[in-house]
Amino acid sequence: MIGLVANESMKIYSRKLTWILLLLLFAITIGSSILGTINNTNATDWRAETTQLVHQYEDRLKITELSPTLRTDAENKLKIAKYRLENDFPAPSNNPWSALLTFSGLIEMVIVFAIVIAADIVAGEYTAGTMKLLLIRPHNRAKILFSKYIAVSLFAIVMLALLAVCGYATNALFYGLGDIHTTDLFLNQQGQVVQLNVLMQGIKMYGLSLFPIMSYVTLAFAISTVLRNSALAIGISLFIMIVGNSMIEATAKMEWLKYLPFANSDMSLYIFHLPARPEMTLNFSITVLLVYIVALILLSWNVFKKRDVSI
Amino acid sequence: MNQTPVVQFQHAMKRIGKRTIVNDLSFDIQAGEVFGFLGPNGAGKTTTIRMMVGLIKISQGDILIKGHSISKDFNKAIRNVGAIVENPDLYKYLTGYQNLKHYARMVPGVTKARIEEIVGIVGLRDRIHDKVKTYSLGMRQRLGIAQALLHRPSLLILDEPTNGLDPAGIHELRNYLKRLAHEESVAVFVSSHLLSEMELMCDRVGVLQNGKLVRIQSIQDFVHDGGSSLVCVTVESSQVEQAKRLIATLKKEILPIRQPGQLLIPLNKDEIPTVNKLLMQAGIQIYSIQVQEQTLEDKFLELTEERK
Ligand SMILES: Nc1ncnc2c1ncn2[C@@H]1O[C@H](COP(=O)(O)OP(=O)(O)O)[C@@H](O)[C@H]1O
Ligand SMILES: [Mg+2]
Repeated sequence: MIGLVANESMKIYSRKLTWILLLLLFAITIGSSILGTINNTNATDWRAETTQLVHQYEDRLKITELSPTLRTDAENKLKIAKYRLENDFPAPSNNPWSALLTFSGLIEMVIVFAIVIAADIVAGEYTAGTMKLLLIRPHNRAKILFSKYIAVSLFAIVMLALLAVCGYATNALFYGLGDIHTTDLFLNQQGQVVQLNVLMQGIKMYGLSLFPIMSYVTLAFAISTVLRNSALAIGISLFIMIVGNSMIEATAKMEWLKYLPFANSDMSLYIFHLPARPEMTLNFSITVLLVYIVALILLSWNVFKKRDVSI
Repeated sequence: MNQTPVVQFQHAMKRIGKRTIVNDLSFDIQAGEVFGFLGPNGAGKTTTIRMMVGLIKISQGDILIKGHSISKDFNKAIRNVGAIVENPDLYKYLTGYQNLKHYARMVPGVTKARIEEIVGIVGLRDRIHDKVKTYSLGMRQRLGIAQALLHRPSLLILDEPTNGLDPAGIHELRNYLKRLAHEESVAVFVSSHLLSEMELMCDRVGVLQNGKLVRIQSIQDFVHDGGSSLVCVTVESSQVEQAKRLIATLKKEILPIRQPGQLLIPLNKDEIPTVNKLLMQAGIQIYSIQVQEQTLEDKFLELTEERK
């Protein structure tokens, strides 16, 4: 099995497309880190600035047509800002760990790139005709299929790690290496203000993002296996991803939507205490995603093991 | 050396939808022989090969390789097989060497030395570290053969291997396959739609026509006797119709006439006097009876095309 995964990895990393994606990942991560540092000025008088923020959030909450997510967001930030003033707890000075938490949006890019590779890993072998020679070896088809799944999952993890390392390194150039004991205020699942280690929160967020990443990887992989068409697999997966992101709001209104993967696939919502519905928890989301992942794997496997390979 | 055959077809058949593409194949292939699988395009050669290597399911019957069923005991059966199915489709974005390394990892016991050895055998040493997309069709064919032989299979299956090879390449391949079979006891299964190539390469041929095996025999028998030869009887033009009716009573078919007065009849040699006597007794004037020596190509065409 290790040999098979090594083979699949060799094929992934021998392709130009892979290196273009990795280069883009580097460029975009470094670019957005630099942009982030430009917008971020160190506070001179944190009390005055925090007070100003409190007013800003209070004003925002007065807007009646504010969407539920934005309202919760403003409420959360207000709570934390007030807590800072009452307890004399300034926001930590600029450091790479806090910065990593702010550009969590880049995880979406990892998802898109992982979709591109996952969509091709099975379908591409049919298109190129290489599936025949791959299948006439003493390995059952399940092993062949799962070695591909493992290789593409590893690739997604490599990209996520690159994102974190590269983002940290760029920010460290501006802010210094940062103290790993840096703490900041967050809201826990009950909505109480708590003081947590920023690095640990970062690890939690990036670690948890593996669930949504794997959901989309599995989706693209399954479509690729069933339809044998990489372009279609990329298209459908991206479409579902875009539609899915706009479904988070709708989930607040329609309860049944919470059983679909969409509102469950942004883990930063839990880090920042912004669940799509109040009763949704981190464990609920992980469970929903795992159910979809397992179902899609079973589907791919069933189609793959039975198919007559005549192209 | 009379062990179990390397390949045993047991009433193997393939149906796709309502169409029967390969029908009831039953024959054996022994170690040490080059078996030619002949048939025109669309006869079902590739489909048969796909069944032999487990790429498609066998609708009915079974195929055993070294005694192991390809459908029920895939891993044990396929371990003995090296194959090219249809085109030598390899990873174009990898180098030739990476391709071989890829397949070597999939079978236990293929060493680096073995990869080097096989590269030498197929004559790709100079180009093995180039990307496959820069290879000619002939070079891809060689690399295809290299991947098929890496793990020293007992059965080598090649689907139309001469496609894309130049005459020198075909000559070389022929000698290599013969040596492989006769010296290393590998069973070699080669499909082709070109009889002339098979003639020099194979020990035995099977002819496939519309999914049915219409003939199977050693290449000598196939070339020298076996079946009928074509007899050309020239009679008085005005009596042709009468002659035809008479011959029809013998249940012999008559091929389309090329010249007035000529009748082309596939006959065994010992049937010629019978036909002669019949025509003479009916008072038909015979100008000549010629036995036309058939070329292999004719024989093949006769076997395949006229059954349509
Ligand atoms: N997957 C398939 N579905 C339907 N028909 C097929 C399929 N594969 C092959 N055939 C048909 O089976 C016949 C035999 O094809 P093939 O085995 O490729 O012939 P050969 O290799 O002898 O040229 C052809 O008429 C082809 O159209
Ligand atoms: Mg063919």
